[in-house]
Amino acid sequence: MEALIALILKMPGTGDMSAQALHITAASTMAVLMFTVMALCAIVFTLMERKVAGFIQSRFGPMRTGRWHGWAQAVADMLKILGKEDIIPAEADKNLFTFAPILVLLGSLLAWVAIPWAPGFVAADLDLGLFYIFAVSSLVIIGVLMAGWASNNKWALYGAARGAAQMISYEIPLALATIPVIMYTGSLNTQDIVIAQQGGILNWFIFRDIFVFIAFWMYFIASIAETNRGPFDMPETESELVAGYHIEYTGMRFAFFFLAEYANLFLVSLIAVFVFLGGWWAPLPLLDFMPPALTFIIKGVMMVFLNMWVRWTLPRVRVDQLMHLCWKVMIPISLLCVVGSGILQMTTGQLN
Amino acid sequence: MAQYFADIYETVSSVLKGMQITIKHIYRKPVTLQYPDERQVMPERYRGFVHNDMTKCDSCNICAKLCPVDCIYIEAEGKAKERMMTRYAIDYNKCIWCSLCTENCHTGSITMSHDYDHSVYDRKTLVYEFMDPADGLIPCHRATRVDMGWWVEEKKEKPKPKPPVEEKPAAEAAPAPEATPEAAPEAASETAPEVAPETDKPSDDKGAE
Repeated sequence: MEALIALILKMPGTGDMSAQALHITAASTMAVLMFTVMALCAIVFTLMERKVAGFIQSRFGPMRTGRWHGWAQAVADMLKILGKEDIIPAEADKNLFTFAPILVLLGSLLAWVAIPWAPGFVAADLDLGLFYIFAVSSLVIIGVLMAGWASNNKWALYGAARGAAQMISYEIPLALATIPVIMYTGSLNTQDIVIAQQGGILNWFIFRDIFVFIAFWMYFIASIAETNRGPFDMPETESELVAGYHIEYTGMRFAFFFLAEYANLFLVSLIAVFVFLGGWWAPLPLLDFMPPALTFIIKGVMMVFLNMWVRWTLPRVRVDQLMHLCWKVMIPISLLCVVGSGILQMTTGQLN
Repeated sequence: MAQYFADIYETVSSVLKGMQITIKHIYRKPVTLQYPDERQVMPERYRGFVHNDMTKCDSCNICAKLCPVDCIYIEAEGKAKERMMTRYAIDYNKCIWCSLCTENCHTGSITMSHDYDHSVYDRKTLVYEFMDPADGLIPCHRATRVDMGWWVEEKKEKPKPKPPVEEKPAAEAAPAPEATPEAAPEAASETAPEVAPETDKPSDDKGAE
């Protein structure tokens, strides 16, 4: 925010603005920027998803829309979805039904506030940034449950119940996996976490010690489950629940769920990047010429690719397997990582 | 407890194996054929839509008679040398792609093409008219065809016509000017010719429609 205010002050005619006006201008600019990035990532990643899926299955994916390798497919899909009829089922709980997609979108949008894009370039430089992100992400669970309940549809309810159970469970290893990193930095501030990883790829937290390395993969697996993707797409399971909690949604309301899904995907990837993979720092000194925000986004997109790669490789797990994996495997391992990394940091004297 | 860690190891290793396979597929050339732009090359004897080369057809009716589902409609008017074909149509709603017509065509005009993508909105449009009477009728008689400059089936040089079988001196056996002089009278066109199938069976007219 400070960087943005300084940037605004450099523009002509902004010298005499009051501090309050500057703050509001910077905040609204940031909000518009965040929302644009979020909406864009939904469009870009749908196309990317289909392309990656295609190439993994030895085919092309969309090829015809927009003449060149189907680049306009996602745009066309979005336009189509906006033109769809907005249906609210007669038996649905109307208020909850209309509010649920907004809550889901809100949950993922709010978390973008604390993402450190570049030095000083973060919408809200919160002291509890990482904690805040995990906290507001939980709003999505309420939205999903609300959507499933309000739809008055048994599949939607099944999907929502599964989704809520899964997302609540996987938040534990998700948060636990970041604790070794927080012990290294001694701060939950997102900027501080990135700044602590300065100086080449070996200073990234993922390569600090073996326990953080394992914790990174725990985080990665849990983030897949958090975004309801890949082998853990239990809330949506096309073969069992048709479409899960958003089965009754059409048009713009469905687009909100869709937007939130891909925004969440990018969000968890960005969290993985700034917590474990060095944030905006380039891996090698010769890549330092790149703008920090670009480095950050490129790393994020690579993480998204990893997510897609997993999704189109592994078959869906069963519900009981999913819960078994979370409670009996991932949480013990994450706790082990916390303890192991803590002991390692104490013996090497790095603990803050 | 050992089983627990063995399971974890097995899961991780099998997941890595699967990921390895899929990443290889990303760099592999897709097997997809961009259909309307690029097409599969059909096998030589593929039975696509039946095509009739109207410049060769002499309306002998063999195909229509052989057709088990009666999907070939041939209409002609006139007698003998004045016999003219007025309609040649194939109803692809009925056609069963048995290829009986092409195997027995003595002029080699009717062939199985390599076309297969003729989706239509209306079934009536699947009745293909191969000629338009307004463009001129097609002579059926060999002599007339020769006179009017139409394609006629080339005769094979037979070593010797068999003496015991006395065929009636064909009234219509006009010597073909451009064909090799033929002593043997032409067999009636209704009977299937005993000559070997044509060696110059046209296979390159698949895009003729």
